[in-house]
Amino acid sequence: MNIDLLIGVLRFLLATTLILLLTVPTAFVVIQMELKIIAGAQLRYGPNRIGPWGMFQSTIHGFKVLAKEDHIPDQADRATFTLAPWMVYMAAAMSMLVIPFAPGAIAVDFNIGIVYFFAVLGLSVVGLLVAGWASYNKYSLLGGLRSAAQMVSYEIPLTLSVVGVVVLAGTLNFRELIEWQRVHGWMLIWQPVALVIFYVASLAEINRTPFDMVEADSELVAGPFTEYSGMRFGFFFFAEYVALFIMSGILISLFFGGWLAPWPFPDQLDGFIGTIYGVLWFFIKTYIFIAVAVLLRATLVRVRVDQLMGMAWKVLLPLAMVNLLVTAAAVLVFKL
Amino acid sequence: MTAPAKAGALVRLLLDRFPDLAAGLWTDEDTVEVTIEGERNVALLQVLRDDPELNFFFLADAAAVDYGPTERFEVVYHLYSDRHPAWLRVRARVNRADPHIPTLTDLWEGAMFHEREMFDMMGIVFDGNRDLRRIYMSPDYRSFPQRKDFLLPDDAADSSAAGVRPLERPETWDLTRLSDELAPGVVAHAEAEAEAKP
Amino acid sequence: MTSEVKIPDPLDLDLDEEARLRRVAGLPAAKTPAGEYAGFESVGLPERPPQTEREREVYTLEEGEMLVNMGPQHPSTHGVMRLVVKVRGEVVTDVDPVLGYLHRGIEKLCEEATYTTVLTYVDPMDYLSTMHNEHAPAIAFEKLFGVTAPPRAEYIRALVVELNRVFSHSLMMGFLALDMGGITPILYGFINRDEIVDMLSAISGQRMLFNFFRVGGVNWDTNDEFLSRLGTWRDHVLKNVEMSERVLTDNEVFRSRTIGMGTLSGRDAIALGVSGPNLRASGVPFDVRKAHPYSIYPELEFEVITQSGGDSNARYLQRIAEINQSIHLIDQIVDKMPHGAVQAQVPGIIRPKPGRAYAAIESPRGLYSVYAISDGGPNPYRFRMRDPSFISLQAIPKLMPGRLIADTMAVMASFDPVMGGVDK
Repeated sequence: MNIDLLIGVLRFLLATTLILLLTVPTAFVVIQMELKIIAGAQLRYGPNRIGPWGMFQSTIHGFKVLAKEDHIPDQADRATFTLAPWMVYMAAAMSMLVIPFAPGAIAVDFNIGIVYFFAVLGLSVVGLLVAGWASYNKYSLLGGLRSAAQMVSYEIPLTLSVVGVVVLAGTLNFRELIEWQRVHGWMLIWQPVALVIFYVASLAEINRTPFDMVEADSELVAGPFTEYSGMRFGFFFFAEYVALFIMSGILISLFFGGWLAPWPFPDQLDGFIGTIYGVLWFFIKTYIFIAVAVLLRATLVRVRVDQLMGMAWKVLLPLAMVNLLVTAAAVLVFKL
Repeated sequence: MTAPAKAGALVRLLLDRFPDLAAGLWTDEDTVEVTIEGERNVALLQVLRDDPELNFFFLADAAAVDYGPTERFEVVYHLYSDRHPAWLRVRARVNRADPHIPTLTDLWEGAMFHEREMFDMMGIVFDGNRDLRRIYMSPDYRSFPQRKDFLLPDDAADSSAAGVRPLERPETWDLTRLSDELAPGVVAHAEAEAEAKP
Repeated sequence: MTSEVKIPDPLDLDLDEEARLRRVAGLPAAKTPAGEYAGFESVGLPERPPQTEREREVYTLEEGEMLVNMGPQHPSTHGVMRLVVKVRGEVVTDVDPVLGYLHRGIEKLCEEATYTTVLTYVDPMDYLSTMHNEHAPAIAFEKLFGVTAPPRAEYIRALVVELNRVFSHSLMMGFLALDMGGITPILYGFINRDEIVDMLSAISGQRMLFNFFRVGGVNWDTNDEFLSRLGTWRDHVLKNVEMSERVLTDNEVFRSRTIGMGTLSGRDAIALGVSGPNLRASGVPFDVRKAHPYSIYPELEFEVITQSGGDSNARYLQRIAEINQSIHLIDQIVDKMPHGAVQAQVPGIIRPKPGRAYAAIESPRGLYSVYAISDGGPNPYRFRMRDPSFISLQAIPKLMPGRLIADTMAVMASFDPVMGGVDK
């Protein structure tokens, strides 16, 4: 047997296992941040009983979900009902494979990492649609249809905004993209419009307030998740927070230099120390953006479904196209 | 309240428009009350609402009163006008044996819930109301709870839930106990008590 | 005794494709020809013939429509209310409110209670404006019995009633945002509410169902704790209100969700019996405190505030304006409060002479009125309450057709109904 193939397979298994394991604590941390930051915005204490400063509240929530009854409605479509949480969760976990944590700390250093990322993340809409369909519940059905409409619509401006970045950097590989940013400065300076489009569209893509039409607890109870309980619901719940983490990670990789340190610090170190250093900066930046998303949730009310779609098709999409046109023209003219 | 002087103006105006209301006219400190027969309610209230000098544009309340099995129902309307510093109360009498009265929903759409409530609680039928169904009680309910001759045990025995619901001690909860014959469980209970006494 | 119930399987191959898809979509099993009566099964109720023309209309589905139950167990129906919403896709085509899930028969209970205990029965009606619930019966019974409350009692009444109005309106701002997915303003609303509730519990002894009013006065005079809490609260209340308002008033998303939503013209509002802040938001200056002054309101300076919009946003702004107005009234009341007794001499069991009395007050939700009839006995012969949110609910089916599901709850919240009051 080819030894290279074996090593490749082993490496892949190890990487995916590590990434899968990483999703759980990531979700716990993000949920804990949400609990604490929203509590702060609402002048409450937030969780403060379990662990120091209530640190383990979200962990306990996770285990609680494991212990709960897993109920499948009589008239639900059992096969797809069971499958849907996995589809959503795996879409989130698999897109984590290409996230560039630090030099040397990328699970799979794809040459088409960006394409892979958007392809896999887009799969979660299938899971939501299936969940809404299989639940035998009108709220679920409406939620599933909303998720299909919303996520498909927002994927277009989301991807188009990134095309500008790709045209400029000339690569689809996250590592090379960050190297480019090390030389030329963070993409934020070059593509500010794309940043705005990407940020808005990414919030919609992962169903965060103010675009959480899919769950919309005051209208559709819990959207496609209405009939889910126990760990099946837990998977949806985790996937949502993992997706928030991933989106923030991709956002900083694309526009804020990924693992690169900001100005007064040396932007990158070598060797193992360099990896630790990169991971450190990656997490600092990512959690800043997660905190912003959480604060948005504490502040804003939800937009209506027609306003949401109108924004995607009438504002973000034309803007992204103009941005792409200008970028491409600039690249041609100035031979960047 | 400083009403009586100004309520006097309202009384004069009312008597001017409807001389036949004098019989049932009555005032207290801030209310002017007229009594009419049920069939007249729409005609009267329409004038009260549309006459610019009266201008009772707001239907503040519509309630039904049961004056007992041998008497009558009354549907009582309270009206507000920005021209007069007094509430106008219109008491419309309804035959209790055959409780029918014209609907007000053509004058005020908002009378709908009032009339549905009166139908639900008193069983007064509002002719012309196109949505006269129960509003608080369930659709299969058969009694009218706010009538004065409403008795809860009768009602429960009559309802669709009678005899179906498992009660903790059915022998003491027998809802037919108002009938002449005691339920077997109650008899046994009474006998056991009588034996324990002597 | 078990009966064989065949649970339909969505993958049942006996069914044709159409029927299977319809079942999964939650539609009635057989395709209803357009314009035919669909029945109650589609909202999970036993089948029965429709009772009225209107009921047939609501439960008749055109092609592409379906019925969705919102409530009675739904995250945002303000208690146990059920709206049967007929939707075509996301667009609402008809709404039918189904009430009675919280019906306790308080009117009937009050006919069995003495005049003093009636005041305890009315508390849990509209549980966000408990003081107002007691105010109207107290006035009505005083009229019946021919007793007047001493001036200090009237001032204390007006004070607690205005405090109650402030917290009720604060909560409305929060609930309105909550029904649109904004989770923070409700907490700010509860901060405002808690301070006032603590204050009122200091004067009445209870936190929610105060049971503070008596026929001929109030139960207790003010005490030190109440006054000190009132002072502390007054120092920072304007800042608190501004804080909760700032989250919403100029928020672009909130404005786009409320402006032009559920627009109710003044004429329609009057026809529907909508009253209180909701009516004034439509531009009709009808405030019972001015229109039929009761208690000490003739002695206080205030203007009736109105808005011109008549939409959800106008109703929201109206609440904020009324909070500030109430704070202004509270200042005047505290300034002018006389000394003296807080209760008139009233026997333990009140037996008024036979008569009728009508008393209306301005509750946070509108015109709340009581019509009491005495037959000379110790309990009222008939005790009728007109709850404003019950009547205001009629506006919802008028406003919703053509709007989206998302707006159903948002517009309903802007009317601020409280199910305890709606269902009596």
